[in-house]
Amino acid sequence: MDASLIVYALNLSAIYALMAIGISLLWSSIGMLNMAHGATFAVSGYGALVIGGAVLPTVDALLQGSMLLSYARFVVLLAAGAGVGALCGGVIYLLAFLPIHDKANFAVRGLIVTLAINLATVQGLLWWFGPRQQALPQIFGFGRLEVLGIPLRYDQAATIGATAVLLVAVLAWLKLSRKGLEIRAMMQNPEGAALSGISVRRAAMPVMAITGAMAGAAAVLLSQSVFVSPTAGAMPLIKGMIIALLGGLGSVPGAAIAALLIGVLEAATGAIPFLGQRMVLLVQFGFIILVLIIRPRGIGGLLDETRK
Amino acid sequence: MNEPIAPVLHKVGNRRHEWMLRPEGRKTWQRRRLPLIGRHWLTWRGGHNPRTLERERRLADKRPLWWLVGLAGLVATAPFLSDAMLQIAIVFCVFAAINVIWTLIIGAAGILSLATMATVGLGAYAAAAANVYLGVPWPLMFPVGLLVGLMAGGLLALPSTRIDGLYYALLTIGVAEICRVSISQIRALAPQNSSINNVDSFIPQDWFLQRPGLLLGFASAFVLLLLALLLFRLVNSERLGLQLQAAREDEEFSEAVGIDYKRARLLVFLIASGALGVIGAYYAMLYRSISLNIFSLDQLLLMFAMIVIGGMGRAEGAVIGTAIVVLIDRALIDLGPLRIILIAAVVIIVTLTTHRGLADARSQFRAYRNRIKSERRAARTRKGGEVMPEEATEIADKQLIAYRRFDKRLRDRLKALITPELIEEHRRAPLGPHSDALARVMNYFRRGEMSDKYAILQEGDPGSWTYSVMALSGEPGKPPRVVDDRHYGSRDEAYHAVFLLRVNDLLES
Repeated sequence: MDASLIVYALNLSAIYALMAIGISLLWSSIGMLNMAHGATFAVSGYGALVIGGAVLPTVDALLQGSMLLSYARFVVLLAAGAGVGALCGGVIYLLAFLPIHDKANFAVRGLIVTLAINLATVQGLLWWFGPRQQALPQIFGFGRLEVLGIPLRYDQAATIGATAVLLVAVLAWLKLSRKGLEIRAMMQNPEGAALSGISVRRAAMPVMAITGAMAGAAAVLLSQSVFVSPTAGAMPLIKGMIIALLGGLGSVPGAAIAALLIGVLEAATGAIPFLGQRMVLLVQFGFIILVLIIRPRGIGGLLDETRK
Repeated sequence: MNEPIAPVLHKVGNRRHEWMLRPEGRKTWQRRRLPLIGRHWLTWRGGHNPRTLERERRLADKRPLWWLVGLAGLVATAPFLSDAMLQIAIVFCVFAAINVIWTLIIGAAGILSLATMATVGLGAYAAAAANVYLGVPWPLMFPVGLLVGLMAGGLLALPSTRIDGLYYALLTIGVAEICRVSISQIRALAPQNSSINNVDSFIPQDWFLQRPGLLLGFASAFVLLLLALLLFRLVNSERLGLQLQAAREDEEFSEAVGIDYKRARLLVFLIASGALGVIGAYYAMLYRSISLNIFSLDQLLLMFAMIVIGGMGRAEGAVIGTAIVVLIDRALIDLGPLRIILIAAVVIIVTLTTHRGLADARSQFRAYRNRIKSERRAARTRKGGEVMPEEATEIADKQLIAYRRFDKRLRDRLKALITPELIEEHRRAPLGPHSDALARVMNYFRRGEMSDKYAILQEGDPGSWTYSVMALSGEPGKPPRVVDDRHYGSRDEAYHAVFLLRVNDLLES
């Protein structure tokens, strides 16, 4: 396999992993399949666009000619995207989680409500911003650098690096903080967690915000190579879902492995001449159905019987 | 003080709201059955009025009436609709038919599959291609659609046994996308932007999009909807549906009594898929063309919104939801993207407020009302001898209820009359003359039941009698018992002691 193909695969995997781990975390901690993740993605892209357009000129003026300029721009955009994403997460929490989380049939109803939020948001963006695709301000230009003899575009390097940092930060937060402990307790045994005084409502809010922020960051990172558009969230959502399913809903390492697998598969399928870009989805679906038939709960997921 | 009070009569029970037929009592009741399946047309309950003993007959399940009213209304108004509205009615019928069949998959089979539009689209493409490229005449397009639908259903059913619930739902969302991509790859199938045009149809070429063509289209779409409803009824309420219902309630039990629910589930899935394929073929004929739009995610989400609004698992839910969404989507077309937002808002509101969609809203409301009622009932602790409304339905002699209510109100009024002055008046002259208030109280005491009454026991020698109070048992053969060990020197004192006991009983009741 070509070296640049590996970089391409890693780049894709990084963005998919951000989406998939968000979906997976939500499912395992509060039992909701967040179909509005794609909407969060699209809204964050536009949020970064609007906030970036307002803030970046001042940043440019302040750090004129400085070495730090491109980093500052990157941080501003990433923070804008993540912030808007976290806000979206909060809105979804208020709309789709809080009213029904203790009612009958929550899994399916949550799925339906988030699906409707997704639909409404995409149409709202279409109505407000129009169907035209817009580009986020370029941060790193089109330069390349060589790492171990592999040519690496700046934005690819930034994406892979930022994703790695974000994932490590989230995992460390889950592992080390008090809130993370609560969330992990909720994942392992919701009833037990409730009995030992962990409020599902209180614990769900930061999970929602953080997964939203991850989707927002993914939006900013992907927008370095793909335009921002109202329907931009659909593909990352579908891919994120596929990966979360493949990895086993609720398993973060499983999602990471699955993201890597799917990214490599996508890059490889795109590179094979008789398959091409258009067959990528088909191949991925075939792959995931195959895996799910062999392991119905995904790579990292445990079967219900085993869990009991 | 004694002004008449208007009686408050609580209406008791639900009988007065019932809609009754009064058939001739002497005639035997002949109930017709449906041919072949041996079921009755309508669910009637027979009975009699407990008071007049008149024969009564009541429609236990009124849904068929509503179906009749709705569908007949649609047919009756269709010829007077404008062309645009007629097209909306056609779209409604076709989508409602698809959704009714989909309800069969989701509700009866319990498989949350979102590959419906994919099956419809595959049937449509196969039938259209068979017609255009192979020259198959239009009536044979239906079997082609059926075959392709069955094949698609078979392929989709394979993983459904292995993967469960939401996993399967998420997987099937992608199936439509796969179909879209694959069909756009097959160049031979559709040269121009992957749509097949000029499909032969039951609507003659020169009628297409003209008034007679639209009317014919509506008639056929309506028949399609009726057939879909018939299929729903045949599958859902006959052997297969009942087996699956048992499985939904308790899988292990149904397995133990010999129901192969997995097989039944697959069978229903296959039947529904075949029907969806046929609808696909019909769809291609109706519009004389088929394009990739049928596989689009937005279309799928709209269909899902219809099912969700109406409520998953019930045919009336599918039809109601379709009507709402189609009306918003097609009739308010001027609103642009806003109407999709409107639909999404309706979906969110319905999902957040109802448990199982609009079709179930009535029973949900009733359950809510019953819950509130029983909470109130539990909160009510005092009844003072009166019959509570919910008890009243269980007492056959309604006069008893009226008497207890009267007695309660009488006692309430008498209690207000008891004052220290009244008691003092009785102490002074137990045998009268009495004031009006005292006379009323005494009359009430005299009229009481034997078990409430007291007697005076006279003991000792003549000239030095002592008196004590006894309570009567009220039962023949059971002697009175002594109330307390007090002895009274005179008869008037004993009378007054009895009076005080009765007053005490009255105030305590």
